[in-house]
This record gives sequence, C-alpha cells and structure tokens, in this order.
Amino acid sequence: MAAGDDPRPGELVVTRDFDAPRELVFRAWTEPERVRRWWGPEGFTMPYCDIDLRPGGTFLRCMRAPGGLDFWVTGVFREIVAPELLVFTDSFADKEGNVVPPTRYGAGSGMPLERLVTVTFEELAGSTRVTVRHAGLPSGEDRDLVRHGWAGGLESLSGYLSGAS
Amino acid sequence: MSSSTLDSTFAALADPTRREILVRLASGEASVKELAEPFQMSLPGVSKHLKVLERAGLISRGRVAQSRPCRLEARPLKEAADWVEHYRRFWEEGLDRLEDYLQEIQREGEGGGGR
Repeated sequence: MAAGDDPRPGELVVTRDFDAPRELVFRAWTEPERVRRWWGPEGFTMPYCDIDLRPGGTFLRCMRAPGGLDFWVTGVFREIVAPELLVFTDSFADKEGNVVPPTRYGAGSGMPLERLVTVTFEELAGSTRVTVRHAGLPSGEDRDLVRHGWAGGLESLSGYLSGAS
Repeated sequence: MSSSTLDSTFAALADPTRREILVRLASGEASVKELAEPFQMSLPGVSKHLKVLERAGLISRGRVAQSRPCRLEARPLKEAADWVEHYRRFWEEGLDRLEDYLQEIQREGEGGGGR
C-alpha cells in the first residue's frame, strides 16, 4: 500500500469530489495539455509543461503568476497506478530542471526543499474523489527519520503554535 | 531560515523524546533535571537531546548558574508549519479550477476516454 492510508496529523490533506469519470480526472492530472488548463492558483497560466509519466520519470512545469513572474517546478514520479494513484516529489527548479531552494522564489523560508505529493483517485457513485496529501521531505539522510516523525511533532505542538503568532 | 536549518528542525522533531521535551517546555521553562524526570533517562542522556534541540534553534538555554533553564523557541516551528498553509491554498484554488475544467470539457462532449 502506498502512502495513501490513514492521514497523518500535520500533513496537508485536501479532498474534493468531482462530477466526472475517474479515468478522465486521472488524465487531467497526467496529460500536459490538460494539466496546463487548471494547475495552480487562480490567475496562473502554464507556458511550459513536460511530463514523463513512468516510475522514475520526471516532470517540469513553468507556472506564470498573474504579474508575469515564472515559477519552475520539477519532481520525480515515485509510483503510478492508473487511474488510481500518483506519488511524486515536488521541488522548485530552474528552467533546466535543476532543483533550487524555495527561497530563490521568495517562497516561505520554512518550506522544505522537496515535498512528497500523494494523490488518490477513488470511484464513488457517479463521481470521483481526489485526495491530495502533501508532506515535507528534508534532503539527505534525515529523510527517513522525518517521514515518520515530523508530522507527529507538529501535531503535539499545534496548540502551542496557534497561540504563538 | 535556510533549508539546512529546516532539515535540523525536522531531524530534531523526528525523535519522540525530543517532541515530549518540547511539549513540556510549551508550558514553561524547565531545568535539565525537571526535564529528565518523566523519562527514565540519565541527565547526560537528556542533555544530548537538548543539544540537538538547541542546535536546531527550537530551544534556548539560560545562562543562569548551574540550572541553565530551557525555554521553547516557537519561530522555527511556526515556519515549518507555515508552508503547509501555503500549499493548502495552492491546492484548494487548483482544485477549483480543475472542477471548472472538467465541467467545461464534459459539456463540450470531449469526455475523451471517460465513461
């Protein structure tokens, strides 16, 4: 079973039901011409999108913000089960696809260099439920430790954090 | 915060004892001895964990005499949590657009491959 089991506290989980067949929803996530039509926040466009959809394959996208600023994003597909599951890493990049720190784009300084995104596509009666799980992956040797630990750490402290702005 | 600092934050949080120490400190300063009590652990054992937490910037330690009370530093934790909020907005808005897109192509009868 992939990382798509119980939600882990502290990990970002977003769920949405779509009135569309699962096959089509999956294609909207994996075919460049479809991805370009919706990916990213409101007002963003995607001038470049390349997807090598196979385990170990990479993607490279350019998201253009309403002000014209380009954000390049890359990652590696860890797991693909069409049309049920996608697992990929997610990092900021330059336009050659080299990973760069999020701070290069002025992103939140607390953002991990690499994130792991797990997307499940479930068939419901007449609709498709998409669940996106997004977790931080620090670089190098800390990675495995963190996969087990960091979410729990943030959970136990969430009460404190909410009072500590 | 640089990503290497962030890595040390995550590594520090990866250990359950260290998380417990942070939770304890969330309710106020404590000495090494007070922190050691709940964990059947030697003072040097606890000190080792405190060093990791201090290096990660998650706690600071007073300079007062022997006890050097430990204090929780919230900022690195908050920064680690903030990116999650950033991505929540990212995905919520993206999925809104996906919903519109799917409606649009299905209206056009371009369900291509869908059932």
